[in-house]
Amino acid sequence: MHREETRTDLGAIKIHKNVIASIASLAAVEIEGVKRIGGDFTSGLLELIGKKNLLAVKVEIDKNEEVRIDVPLVIKYGFNIPDIANRVQENVRNALEKMTSLSIKDINISVQSIERG
Amino acid sequence: MRIFMVLGISFYAVVLIIIGIALMAFSLNLFEPLDINNLVLYLQSGINSRIIVGLSGFLLILISFSFAQLILGRFQREKTIAFATTSGEVTIALSAVEDLIKRLGGVIPEIKELRPDVIATKKGIVVDLRVILKSETNIPELTLRLQEITRSKIQEVLGIEEQVFVKIHVLKIVTAEDKDKKKRDAEKQEPGIPFAGYGRFGQ
Repeated sequence: MHREETRTDLGAIKIHKNVIASIASLAAVEIEGVKRIGGDFTSGLLELIGKKNLLAVKVEIDKNEEVRIDVPLVIKYGFNIPDIANRVQENVRNALEKMTSLSIKDINISVQSIERG
Repeated sequence: MRIFMVLGISFYAVVLIIIGIALMAFSLNLFEPLDINNLVLYLQSGINSRIIVGLSGFLLILISFSFAQLILGRFQREKTIAFATTSGEVTIALSAVEDLIKRLGGVIPEIKELRPDVIATKKGIVVDLRVILKSETNIPELTLRLQEITRSKIQEVLGIEEQVFVKIHVLKIVTAEDKDKKKRDAEKQEPGIPFAGYGRFGQ
């Protein structure tokens, strides 16, 4: 799995994609109106056997070391979707920039379902 | 992703062609059932051949699984409403819009059941609603109200200005008698316990 790497005088610092996915998913569920992180069939299967739902959040790092994140969401009923999506994008961007100093290119949100809160 | 698709389709085409040729050869008597028997026996005889057969089976399952997921994911991706923001793209699955509409069923007491089907077209969003209503409902008034609520809720929650067309199809009207009849039928079907009241007399 590709890792974001930063060089310092003492050596290299690598951030695993799963760490980026973790930060993104935690920042996403912080927003009021987000019920949970969505997922596909594989991530659902992994969740069933006790693995964290990290596969659902897709992280891509391109050649220019810019990060692209796809976050699937389940939104609570009664909330405005574009507003929630905007707030999630902002929160994920802030959290990632604060914790990893990475350059975030895109945070793509896909609303998979609506559930009662 | 496209290359995986091409590989997957080619793989399935080759496998199906081989099966087809084998069946045709069998029907033309080009090989005997004994040949198949010998082949199976040969495959089962050595530990190496058994491992190869087992691994091939496992690989086939993996290929089928990933190919099915690829196709299903592709179909799922197509059924979305998308808009761009400064931070990236937001896509909303049409099934999420259907969930939203289903919740509206609880808001209107005259509706017994609501089955929505949402399609996104170039002209706008088309909502096909199939409803089961309770009796003594004014259908024109209710359907108009349902259309208004559906349209405004979609525009409010999705924050879109596109046109929303709401088609309503009343599937069934359930009367109170239907409910009572179902209850009575359920009670009738429950078997009575023999001697249920026996021994209670005089207690």
